[in-house]
Amino acid sequence: MLLEVDRLDVKVRLASGDVAVLRDVSFDLQPGRILGLVGESGAGKSMIGRVVAGLLPEGFKSTAQRFRFDGKDLLDLPAEQRRRLLGDRIAFIPQEPLSALNPVLTIGRQFIEHLARLGVPRGERRRRATDALTEVLLPEPDALLDRYPFQLSGGMCQRVLIAMAFASNPSLVVADEPTTALDVTTQVHIVSLIRRLQAAHGTGLLFITHDLRLAAHLCDEIAVLYAGDVVERGPAKQVFGAPRHPYTRALKQAMPGLTGDRRPLQALPDIMPGIEALGRLPGCRFAARCPTADASCAASLPPLALVAPGHWVRCASACTSEVTAPSTIASEASGPANGKALLKLDGIAKSYIRGRITAVKDASFSIASGESVGIVGESGSGKSTLARLVMGLDTPSAGYIELDGIDVTVPEPSWEKRISLVQMIFQDPASALNPRRRVANLVTQSLEARSRAASEAERLKRALELLGDTGLPEGLLQRFPPQLSGGQRQRVNIARALCAEPRLLVADEIVSGLDVSVQAQILNLLQKLRREHGVALLFISHDLSVVRHLCERVLVMKGGEIVESGRTEEVFSRPRHAYTRELLAAVPPDDMNKPWPPTP
Amino acid sequence: MRSMLARCLAEPRVRVGGGLMLALLLIAIFAPWLAPHDPGEQDLLHTLLPPAWAPDGDPAFLLGTDSLGRDVLSRLIFGTRVAMHVAIVAALGAALLGSVLALIAGYYGGRADWIIGRAVDVWMSFPPVILSLILMVGFGAGLNNVILAIVIVDWTRFCRVVRSEVMTVRRRDYIPAARLAGFTHLQVILKEIVPAVTPLLLTLISIEMGIAVVVEAILSFVGLSVEPNVAAWGVMIADARQSMHEAPWGLIAPVVGIFVSVLAANLLGDGLRRSVDPRLAQRLSVLR
Repeated sequence: MLLEVDRLDVKVRLASGDVAVLRDVSFDLQPGRILGLVGESGAGKSMIGRVVAGLLPEGFKSTAQRFRFDGKDLLDLPAEQRRRLLGDRIAFIPQEPLSALNPVLTIGRQFIEHLARLGVPRGERRRRATDALTEVLLPEPDALLDRYPFQLSGGMCQRVLIAMAFASNPSLVVADEPTTALDVTTQVHIVSLIRRLQAAHGTGLLFITHDLRLAAHLCDEIAVLYAGDVVERGPAKQVFGAPRHPYTRALKQAMPGLTGDRRPLQALPDIMPGIEALGRLPGCRFAARCPTADASCAASLPPLALVAPGHWVRCASACTSEVTAPSTIASEASGPANGKALLKLDGIAKSYIRGRITAVKDASFSIASGESVGIVGESGSGKSTLARLVMGLDTPSAGYIELDGIDVTVPEPSWEKRISLVQMIFQDPASALNPRRRVANLVTQSLEARSRAASEAERLKRALELLGDTGLPEGLLQRFPPQLSGGQRQRVNIARALCAEPRLLVADEIVSGLDVSVQAQILNLLQKLRREHGVALLFISHDLSVVRHLCERVLVMKGGEIVESGRTEEVFSRPRHAYTRELLAAVPPDDMNKPWPPTP
Repeated sequence: MRSMLARCLAEPRVRVGGGLMLALLLIAIFAPWLAPHDPGEQDLLHTLLPPAWAPDGDPAFLLGTDSLGRDVLSRLIFGTRVAMHVAIVAALGAALLGSVLALIAGYYGGRADWIIGRAVDVWMSFPPVILSLILMVGFGAGLNNVILAIVIVDWTRFCRVVRSEVMTVRRRDYIPAARLAGFTHLQVILKEIVPAVTPLLLTLISIEMGIAVVVEAILSFVGLSVEPNVAAWGVMIADARQSMHEAPWGLIAPVVGIFVSVLAANLLGDGLRRSVDPRLAQRLSVLR
């Protein structure tokens, strides 16, 4: 047994008393196997990695019946011996590759320092570093050693860090969301690389991720965490294929699929309880959001029960409740029915620094009233620039933009008209909501502009309507954005865009920072708004399954160009452009029998 | 926001600095009632008296008298008036000039930013004392000219710091969001950006008040500020300089006055910065 964890508890001391942020966590990891720790943010999955590293933040304390690495109890081990294990026998792959490398030192310097710490003789270090970089498929490894981290892409930096992690031939590697900061096509390469190295070295891997589908494909076994509890643990394919815990089921049904029928997303109400609330939840912490919970659930924590060989579930009713087959959405009849284009772009281009950098070139497309169009592509493909051009926040270098029949290519003259027709939902609500304004004030901001100044009472009335539209409780009217959860902030963000009753909403990556269950709430909200208000949508995302769920037509962008466009179903089922195929192949499929990641 | 005020008052530096500053202001306002004597009244029979508690001291002159027999305490109290007047008006003036230019430079960027940025660079390359002396020679002596000189010399401090803050705020998405809500550029500046830089501005103003007190003292010491018959701390130091060996208290009193006001200004500024800086506040809340 490589890693043996039995009844691990992590407690934090708060003003209100001690709170268990991890409760009764047990798992085993055999050498050469992969265990996935899956959960949304705040579930405590990274905390487990920190316990392994002995890097708990101030005020956190861990106790366990057993926490053995290779027969040695890690929690009892003297700090000095424990430190010697780290880096040598236990290695880590971090989430943010760019911030994990020192920007002022070359890759070689950092790699060689790492090798020196591992006790590699001076003369061999450079050669070992070159070999390790070759192993992670980096081109020209020798030249790379003299480069600085900022000269490399995020994916290359992550490869360097993976090479460093495997350099000591460790028996355990802890990877904490190693691909979250990367593009999908990069993710696929990094995941297959980790898997290949892990298999070649016979390493045990603890893979921490929020992506259930990814974990199901990569891992041998997965443990699903919710608010500090392992709610379900078992063979990966079985947990994903036939989840038994209501939370795992909800997580799965909240994810839009890339193939098969489109089904309505089952969004859980509310959000995961935060640390402060955990102290008041002695029983099942999921009970408040659970569709099958009864009064006894909240009172006491059910034990992990064996439901199938190797498959454990912590739920009182998991074994009885059946999986209800989700209904499918009838293909929406809306679309370019009247055929009149609301927005028309013709040959739009944008370049910066006197034409030396081209962000968008020759983009032409149109959106009809009530239609929903998605733009997919990786970071740097020009998606956001295109959104800014549509909004008039930038002026195109060439081309023509028409909105409801009027020329709005140059923003200034038609500004008033434009903002009454198009509004934008910004990507990051933390940045898009002024922290000094209250919710009531934020959502009615467009009533504050001088030309249509409204009275306080009118604004309050409109704010209440908008909160109702976006499913926010009235109690939030007088709150400030920092007092809201991520999902609530995104709703406020949407409510503000709706205030002026636009006919087109431009949404730039508005669900990428959200957890799956909150993402489902927001996607359902967008669909409801489209149905009720008949508003057209330009939806920008890197997530293909979300675009498929929401949009009738899709544009695929690469390097500032639209390389493919058409009806979403057609493009995704019969992609013509090589890049579209690459994007589609990078997404872990729902079908567990399809091998993923594709072996290089 | 109420919470912001509460957080400021929870900071001991703000309480001590703010309390001292408030006390100085009250002394300045109520000087005619607080001072036991007329600050200009000469009593040639009682010159260079030591403080009341020293041997030979006179209880009528609590801090003693100067070489013309004027009451040091009364002059100190009236000197607070001059100091506070200059501190407040000059700091506000410099803040206004500096932040208006900073808002233009930071919000519009481009050419406006370039011109204002170079102006600041050129301005800051003059040694401030020399620049203010040159200005005083040009303007002539007088309290209002001292204020003008401080404003003209010190607006750059505000401009530099506020500009970088404006640029940080400008990059937040709520600025284009306000434009899309139909705000004019002026409305965006006044309603979105100014509130965001106000905490920083208050901090800078507080620190500038201390600087203004020192500059006024220097200029009145060399006789370029108030009329020689007006009680000001710099004038008091200049008067006491001749007799500083036999009667050091005449020198100590105004120096203490300057010291206390600069300390108050710096404590208040530092405390405000600590309680409004989101990064510092975050660190504190994590520890809590």
